[in-house]
Amino acid sequence: MKNQFKYHKTLLFLGFTVAFMISCQEDDSPQLEEVGEMIVKFENYVGSQPLQLDDEGSTDYSYTNANGQAFNITRFGYYISHVKLEGPSGEIFIDEMKVSANEAELKGYYRVVQGDEDTYNVHLKNIPAGQYNRIIFTLGVEEDGVIEGAVGGILDRAAGAWFWNWNSGFINILLEGHSPASPRDANTIKLHVGGWKDIPAEGGQSQRFFNNNVEISLPFDATVRVNQTLRPSPHIHMDLMKWIADVNLEMVNDVHSPAAGRALTPRLVEAFYVDHTHQ
Amino acid sequence: MAANLKLPNQGRIFPALVFLLSGILACTELADPEGVQRYRFENPPHFPEPTYTFGNNSVSEKGFKLGKALFFDPRLSRDGSVACANCHIQAHAFADSWLHPFSIGVDDRKGTRNAPPLFNLAFQKEFFWDGGVTHLDFTPITAIESPVEMDEHFGNVVQKLRVHRDYPERFEDAFGIRKITGPYVLHALSQFMVMMVSADSRYDRWVLGDPSALDAEEVEGLTLFRKHCGSCHTEPLFSDLSYRNNGIQADIIDFGREIITEQQEDRGKFKVPSLRNIAVTSPYMHNAAFRTLEEVLDHYSSGVNYHTTLDPALVTKGRPGIPLDLAEKQKIITFLEALTDSSFLKNPLFFQSDEM
Repeated sequence: MKNQFKYHKTLLFLGFTVAFMISCQEDDSPQLEEVGEMIVKFENYVGSQPLQLDDEGSTDYSYTNANGQAFNITRFGYYISHVKLEGPSGEIFIDEMKVSANEAELKGYYRVVQGDEDTYNVHLKNIPAGQYNRIIFTLGVEEDGVIEGAVGGILDRAAGAWFWNWNSGFINILLEGHSPASPRDANTIKLHVGGWKDIPAEGGQSQRFFNNNVEISLPFDATVRVNQTLRPSPHIHMDLMKWIADVNLEMVNDVHSPAAGRALTPRLVEAFYVDHTHQ
Repeated sequence: MAANLKLPNQGRIFPALVFLLSGILACTELADPEGVQRYRFENPPHFPEPTYTFGNNSVSEKGFKLGKALFFDPRLSRDGSVACANCHIQAHAFADSWLHPFSIGVDDRKGTRNAPPLFNLAFQKEFFWDGGVTHLDFTPITAIESPVEMDEHFGNVVQKLRVHRDYPERFEDAFGIRKITGPYVLHALSQFMVMMVSADSRYDRWVLGDPSALDAEEVEGLTLFRKHCGSCHTEPLFSDLSYRNNGIQADIIDFGREIITEQQEDRGKFKVPSLRNIAVTSPYMHNAAFRTLEEVLDHYSSGVNYHTTLDPALVTKGRPGIPLDLAEKQKIITFLEALTDSSFLKNPLFFQSDEM
């Protein structure tokens, strides 16, 4: 009798364990909360004109900066991560971040590459239904994308990730082109802005490394509603002129390190704005 | 949901559970316990916690062996002439032979710094003489893409492996992937490299409680070592993992750590190397300046060049250097020789011939 009781107790315990596991899975089901999606579109501009890339080596200079220096652009793009949405009544959505060697498991990292239209759309999913009036994101790849080691997908150097091999880290924003103002071979301009850590000055020592990730916080042009049927699409414009119009391309034309990129970082905040939203 | 799981169902649930449990047990029994033991990272009891991200990449027999195959494969270089193992030789604690003070890359190109040994990599926080690489996984990319080492694009390496006869299947077996990608190549190499643990020298046995492992002169040498060298070459790794200028360059031509931190205060600083297996890793210093340990100690006692960034620990009473007499140097060297870990240098786990 005693043994039988014990047997039942064990069975009950196992039963509960299984039930608990099943119920946990049920709790994760999205059915409990209404969610929707948003497609954030990034469109790159030079002043009022959509950015047009030229071929590498081109001596056609479509653009002129505030210093009167002509230039063209042959490559342009940036990483986006840590996307957040905020609403007028405390609504909040934090895009899930995950690094993994498995490309399919990589979450929350996006890369806008000029000329590859598939990359212009940042597709946000599982957003709690509600109203949102602000988007916040990091321009670049922060520490959490570097310290876990080898990562797949758009962070895989073998697949073309913008990764510095000699000073580990990702290029947050990359611009390449030509300008007659640049004294380099073929008049190249290469602005590779990266850097993800700060070791602050202390004990009479100077700062080492610079975190050149930039947090960008933009109000939407109007409050947008997300639910199961409404999938709004804010269009974010990046105006390159707001970023580099003042850069003297005679002096600044070959940036490949955190300290060198430092000066090119602050103005990035002003270069992005939400132009309009398709509700 | 829990309410639906009533006991009357026990007739069906219980056999299912037994079956499940027996499945789990069977799996454990099927695996070769010696094999599991052999290919598992083990932290030496007197070592700090490892820094390697094992949570993302735990060592398995298949992953380790795949990493070994890659380590010995010259396909990683542009023209198929240079493998990792060319410049990282087990008998020299995975440093290069003394015949190559600067290693030879593709097209017989010469490097500019002495190839460092490879061991205890799971405990480092940064890699290479200047510490520019912050994760073990990233280290092969630097060697592959260096123009004076393998001079190949990492993406091309992955392409070559994808069209190889055996590699695709081996990657699938080790990682369950259908298509080889960069991170898995790096994970395989890391699995091979983290297993290079050197913690079984006579010093280690002494520290772990065997007083007969070191003789009296070696213990004297250890005492002197701790007094004069131990603040930078900190036990048990024999490096505090910091960057210091040890006055090795009369004129600083290699800026070292400054290249990474972009701070003049770091000019001529290099990572403090571990002194484990030091007797088999000649020549010494980033610029391979010395052939013998005697020369190294002569440098520290009377050859230190003064610079503004010279490490303060190398200044005694306002003068560069650590005063040491001949007898002291000899005792320190005697101790350093007890840091040779023969079981590591001869461990068949890392032999190419053991590759199946």
